[in-house]
Order: sequence, then structure tokens, then C-alpha cells
Amino acid sequence: MPKQKTPWLRVHKPLSKKRQTFLTILSFLIPILLWCAVSYTPFIWHPDIKLDISANRSDVTTVYTAGDRLSKEYFPTFVDAVRKANADATAGINPNASPRATRRSNQKDLRQIGAVAVKNGWLEHEQTEDDAALYHIWRDLATGTKISKSPQLSEENLTIIKQNWATLSATSPDYKSSSLPETPILKLIPQGTASNPVYLPAPHEVITTGWRDFNASVEEGEITMSARFLQSIKIVFGGFLLSCLIGIPLGIMCGTFDFFSRLFEPFIDFFRYLPAPTFSTLLVAIFLANDAPKIALVFVGTFFQMVLIISKTTRLLDHSLLEAAQTLGAKPTQLLKNVVVPGILPNLYDDLRILLGWAWTWLVIAELIGVKSGLTEFIETQGRYRNFDRVFPIIFMIGFVGFFTDQILAYSKGFFFPWLRVGSSPLERLRQFFGVPSDQNKSKAV
Amino acid sequence: MKLITEFIKSAKVAAIGALALAGSVSAEPLKIAYSDWPGWVAWEIGIKKGWFKEAGVEVEFEWYDYVASMDAYVAGSVDAVSMTNGDALVTGATGKPSTCIIINDYSNGNDMIVAAPGISTIKDLKGKKVGVEEGFVCHLLLLKGLKDAGMEASDVTIVNTPTNETAQVLKSGAVDAIGAWQPNSGQALKAVSGSTPVFTSKDAPGIIYDGLFVSAESLEKNKEDWAKVVSVWYKIVDFMKNEDNLDEALAILSKRVNLKPEEYEPFLEGTYILSLDEALARWEEAKGLGSIYGSTKYVDDFNLEFEVYKEAQDASKYLDPSFTKAYAASKK
Repeated sequence: MPKQKTPWLRVHKPLSKKRQTFLTILSFLIPILLWCAVSYTPFIWHPDIKLDISANRSDVTTVYTAGDRLSKEYFPTFVDAVRKANADATAGINPNASPRATRRSNQKDLRQIGAVAVKNGWLEHEQTEDDAALYHIWRDLATGTKISKSPQLSEENLTIIKQNWATLSATSPDYKSSSLPETPILKLIPQGTASNPVYLPAPHEVITTGWRDFNASVEEGEITMSARFLQSIKIVFGGFLLSCLIGIPLGIMCGTFDFFSRLFEPFIDFFRYLPAPTFSTLLVAIFLANDAPKIALVFVGTFFQMVLIISKTTRLLDHSLLEAAQTLGAKPTQLLKNVVVPGILPNLYDDLRILLGWAWTWLVIAELIGVKSGLTEFIETQGRYRNFDRVFPIIFMIGFVGFFTDQILAYSKGFFFPWLRVGSSPLERLRQFFGVPSDQNKSKAV
Repeated sequence: MKLITEFIKSAKVAAIGALALAGSVSAEPLKIAYSDWPGWVAWEIGIKKGWFKEAGVEVEFEWYDYVASMDAYVAGSVDAVSMTNGDALVTGATGKPSTCIIINDYSNGNDMIVAAPGISTIKDLKGKKVGVEEGFVCHLLLLKGLKDAGMEASDVTIVNTPTNETAQVLKSGAVDAIGAWQPNSGQALKAVSGSTPVFTSKDAPGIIYDGLFVSAESLEKNKEDWAKVVSVWYKIVDFMKNEDNLDEALAILSKRVNLKPEEYEPFLEGTYILSLDEALARWEEAKGLGSIYGSTKYVDDFNLEFEVYKEAQDASKYLDPSFTKAYAASKK
């Protein structure tokens, strides 16, 4: 049979499996491609300059370091200030109060090359204060043994490097803190590349910093990222499970007996409108610091919705089932145990999936109350210091965890409730999920 | 009926679980709440180097936002809190009194009123909006600045802003100036290119002393332990005053507030850490801002004038120089 091309847009008709998979992938790809386009096309947006080389200034308290972003309007002012400091130094004007302060200032000027060295792979990320190694980088750059490819040093800076090295090598070929000159050396002139604002880092920046944060070895007493992750998981699931422990029985009781429904639901209905975060200070006062008030907040945020949703699910149970059981002489306890609970289980399972997502949304607020903790503490502090390239990986990670937990739960529903499977085995569902054509389809095609 | 008993049973289990969670906090070690002011971040050196254990005292430092740290103190979840002498009065008048046993430093420029580009003096703030944490240290600084410039408190509109959000709020343009301390003030200066400090604590030296304020109960119960804390503090001060340790100190301090060491370095000047002798001089009862007594009295008058609270506070009740003096005597 000649293959007829089916149109992509058909009202109320599902697309073929292949096309579905293609679109699923595309739905993730489009935002990523947009992000790349905005990040890597220099003429789109890019209002800032991201510093490759910075300079320390003695006349202001604001310190810009390599990686910081300056607005394109302000950057020339910054460069001019550094040029002026260099002119002063050449003219013999020393802004520092003591020889000691001058040596310290020189030391900081020398360290500005660190970012270049790291970017070229000459030094490790942790070595930007390794003065002895940096000293030799200056030497190698001045003598031309090393050439910086990224960033390319400006002619102006190469001259400065040579001049400085002439001054430095005159006193010592290797680094000695005591032998640093007591007159100011020249500062490297700030260099940078056009970039987007700090809140929209490029994909590769997010990936590299994310990789570093997750793999960084931390000092004793510090929290690793995986420990933070576990902390967060503990809060979400702690609050959620506690809420299940009370919420599920209560919800089922309310859905089954009008007595409990009238007794509990009106108040719960009222209480769920009280926003959970408003209880945060109260919870800290009751449960003190640490995890308890956080778990309690997730609980407060989830529990009341849970009772109402579950009681509604319970009420939706097919009445004929109950009647049939009653005809057979079931007592209320038996009805509940053998009819109601098994009858609502699949729907209850779906409810809990939604409610777990609900619990995740409270996590961020919960982790901010009392002593900040977990992933949110990291997001909060890094965000506050405008290190958004470190924030994005964590946000993505929370998203992925939530998404995959839900996918796994949705997928494993078939295992828990085999009677709901509509003709497809778990293996088949897995195939469908990844879009692999199944044996059945193949046989049909033949 | 069986159902009800079962329900009660499960409720009991849950309640016990909740109680167990609540009770998991034991009251054994001294608990100190501290926050991001450079004079208090300095404790980090003692923590990281294990000097408290060495001195034989168990201390748990809990990291908070500044106002949250005072809330935690009032709520009784910590034994001591790092705050300014002025905020100790506010906390005492409205919540729970405390006693200062250590003067860490005085603010020497790190507390700032940072104004958006185009505003270069405090007088230009007339009719403008200023984001500060109402009733606390930077509010005091702002009022002092206004007073010095011959202006009224009503000349500006206060927008209550958490100090750690000030940088974003200034950047957003919602206010024309903010009051904050380092590292927050520095973040604001950095986030808004062209913004400038129009008034800093350097213009009013001695108006802000930063100290360790302990609750009366804990002080009475754990007198010896607090004396040990004092001894560790002066070990930290000695370490920081030795310039050979500069890089090591900066690495520890900057890490606590997620900055790079070179970004942290200017803070050392804006927060004048007092050596033992300097602190002893500030502990002398005298009028004027050179003494913590004079300063606290001054701030109390100020707070009354601007109705931060209603009843005058007795400055001397908040101050206990005996620990520092005893430590000094033991050194001789």
C-alpha cells in the first residue's frame, strides 16, 4: 500500500507514536534552544560586560572580581579609574598608607592574573591565591613562554605584564612576600566580553558551575550538596508522610461517615484558607529551630487539602459496590476494610501523587524558616550574592527530582493495581514511554 | 466504636511523632545566634579552628538573618545573640532583655545608607523612599544622618525592607536609598552601578557597638562557660590582628558569607575589631560615644525621641564589663 502522508494537525485525532515522541523531545528542546540562542548570539541583548580580568582599586570599597558583570555604561568608568591609578603609580604617587599596605595591594594586583590562568587551564580553580605559582605565570606571560588564548590579552595588558615583570624579576625570580616591591606595581586593565545580565547565565556556565558544586570537596563541618539534598528530601517526605499518617485515615472516615464529615470538614475547609507560611514564626516558636518547624510547615500546607481531597475521592466510590456488599451482609467495619479502601486505592494513589507535588512547593518556604537549611539555603544565599549560575542547577535538580518521581509513580501504578492495566504489560508501558515501537505494532504492520 | 478507637490510636502515634520531633533539641551546649555582620562573622575563626573545644566549652553557633536571630533569642531558642547595643535596647524594651559581655567591634563605615545614582547627599533624600529594617540599627543610622543634616524623620518615607533583600530592592527601583551593612551594602553598591553611600557609620563613630548579648538565666547558670567564650574571642582577635594571618582569616570569613576573599578584605576596615585594651577603654563608664555606656544612653534617648519604644531603658542593666575585666586580669 502506498504510504499516505497524514497531516500533523487533525482535530481530536492522536498522532502516531513516532510523532508523539518527536514532539515530546521538541517540547524540551525548544526552551533549551531559545536559551542557547539568547546566550550565544552576541547581537541579541547582551547589555553587560563580564569581566575576564578585574582590578583592585584602593579608592572604593566595591571589589569587582573576574566573572562579575558590569553594565556597558559603567565599564569605561571602571577602566578609566584603573588607568588613572596606573598613571599615578608611574608618576610616583602611592595611595597606600604604609609599605606594608603597598605590598598587600601589589599582592592583590598580582592575583588578578589568577582568573586568566584558571581559564587557560594553567592553574586549578582553588589555586587563585597560590602566589608562588602566579608569580611564575607573570614570568611566563612576560617572556612569551605562555600565551593566553582565552581571554586574549590586550596589547596594553601585555605591555603592563612586561613592565611589571621587569620590576618583579629585579628583586626576586621566585615569589617571596617580603620581597614584593614597596612601590605600587601597575594594575592590569580590566578586560571582558559582552554578556547577558547575571540572572541569565549561559547554558555552559550553568553546567560547569553545577558540576563543580556537586563534586566540590567541602571542608569538615560544611555540608555537601548531596547532604543538602537529603535534608530537603527529609523535610518534604517527613511532612508528607506525617500528613498521610493522619490525613488518609481521617479523609477516608470523612468520606465514609457523614458523622465525621460534619464534625471535621467545615473547620478543615476554613483552616485550609489560612496560608501556611503565616504560621512560620509560630511554628518556630513552638518547635524551636532545626527540622521540626519545617516539617510542621509542610504538614500544615499539605494536611488540610489532603483530608478534603481524600474524603471527596472516597465519596466518589461506586455506590453499587457498597450496596452489593451490604446485600451480602457486610458490617460497617468490613465495608470499610474490604470495599471502601480497596475501591478507592487507585484514585487515592493519584491523589497522593498530586499532594506530593503540593508538599514540594512548600519546601522552599519551609527551609527558609528558623535556621535556613537544605537546597533552599544554598539557592537563597547564592541568589542573594547574585551567583545565579549556581542557583539554576539546583532549581533544575528540584524540577527533575519532582518530575521523575512523578513519572516513576505514574509508571508503577500498573504494578500496584494490575487490574487497571488496559491490555498493556509494564514492559509495554516502558516501551511506550520511550517511544520504542512494540512487537504488537510490528506484527500489525506486517 | 472500634473504628474510633483505631482512629484515636493512629492520632496518638502521630502526636507522639510530632512531640519527638519537637523534643529533639537538647539544651546542653551554649547556643549563640549570629549573623552576617563582619564583627560576628569573626566567630567563624574560633569555630573553624576548634578553639571552643580547646577552651573546654561546648558552644553551638546558629547562623541566622540578623532580625531572625533576635527573634530566636526572644523566643528562647538560643542563649545569646550577637547584636548592636541599640538593637539590644529595642529587643529588651519590646521582647527580652539581655546583657552584653563582649564588645566585638564598633562600626567604622560598614553600616551605610546607599542611595541610587543621582542622589549624592542625604539632603537629596527629602521626600524619597528609603528601604531599611524598621526599628533596627540602620534605621537608627538613617535617623542620625537626617538629624545631622538638620532634617526630620518625616522627610523620608520608610519602606520596611529585610536587610538581606536591600540590594535587590534598590536595584528594582522601588526605593531611592537603602540602609544596610556589609556585605549587604556592598552588594547594593555592586548591583546598582553608580550608587553611592551618602551616610555611613564612619560619619557617626561610636553610635553602633556590636556585642555578644546573653540572657540573664544562661549567664547565671553558666558563668564559667561564658568566661571561656570571652577567652576564645580574644584569641580570635589576636589572630586577626596579626597581619601574617590575613589570607587565612579572609578565606575563613569570606566563605561564611559566600564572598571571595578579595571582596571581603575592605570590610575589615569598616568594622573596627577592638583589641582587649581598646575594649577595656570602651567599657569605662563615661559620657559620649567613646564609651559603650555613653553610646547606649545616646541611642536610648534617640529611640525615645523617635518613639521606637516608649519607656527609657537603663543602659547599665544591659552592660556587664566584668567578664572582659576578669579575662584581662587573668592575662596579667
